[in-house]
Amino acid sequence: MADEENPQAPPPAPETPAPEAVPAPQAVPATSHQGPPRRREGGPPGRRMGGPGGRREGGPGAGPRRGKRQFFRKKKVCKFCVERVDYIDYKKPEVLQTFVQDRGKILPRRITGTCARHQRWLGVALRRARNIALLPFATEL
Amino acid sequence: MEERQYDLIFICRPDTPEEEINKLVATLEHAATERGGKVEKTEKWGTRKLAYRVSKHREGFYVYLVLRSTQGEMIKELERRLKVADPVIKYMTVRLDEEIKRQQKLVQKRERRAARRPRKPAGTGEQAAAAS
Repeated sequence: MADEENPQAPPPAPETPAPEAVPAPQAVPATSHQGPPRRREGGPPGRRMGGPGGRREGGPGAGPRRGKRQFFRKKKVCKFCVERVDYIDYKKPEVLQTFVQDRGKILPRRITGTCARHQRWLGVALRRARNIALLPFATEL
Repeated sequence: MEERQYDLIFICRPDTPEEEINKLVATLEHAATERGGKVEKTEKWGTRKLAYRVSKHREGFYVYLVLRSTQGEMIKELERRLKVADPVIKYMTVRLDEEIKRQQKLVQKRERRAARRPRKPAGTGEQAAAAS
């Protein structure tokens, strides 16, 4: 009894996933006729053309995935998180300068990739630095 | 009141003689200690370019102090003196003890997590056994 149960249990486990995976893709193209696939092909391109917003920012062929999606965006990482910064010092204008536009505006998170917490600290530090004339409020011409 | 830590930065006119700045710093330190404060650090950053014009100057002599005190009155007195002092064109005090506390908390948290991580596989098993 014990011998029969043991061999039975292992084989079903490997068998069941394999057949499911193989026939499924075969069945879809074989059974479906010419009609439905054409419609499907026609649909997606139109939708993709309709929404170019994603493409615009990504630029052409960015990142390792070339074939499928052109608008793959490189993920930005918070610089302060990488360096494990616990306190952003307002006394170092050289560091703060990199998070400021040419005219002295604070760069938004979506451009620098700073995380929410560090952006908050950064804002405080920048404002302090401005107060003591280490950074400009607005660059003079 | 628990002890608080402050950064005090002030900017002098670039043409003030060094002795005068030294004298000013000395009087400030004296005033701070008199009111139960401690001067942790005094730094003279020297003449730096200002990011914008301050009372018609484009450069300024920066002096940086780190203070500790339980008396808030001390800061009031120091700021009053800075306001009155002739060579000073700008000053700023920042209370920092809360940020330092937060920073220490974060460091502790990280250390605890770093200490826990290597033991994790064994630790979880033990914890589960103990819980059950």
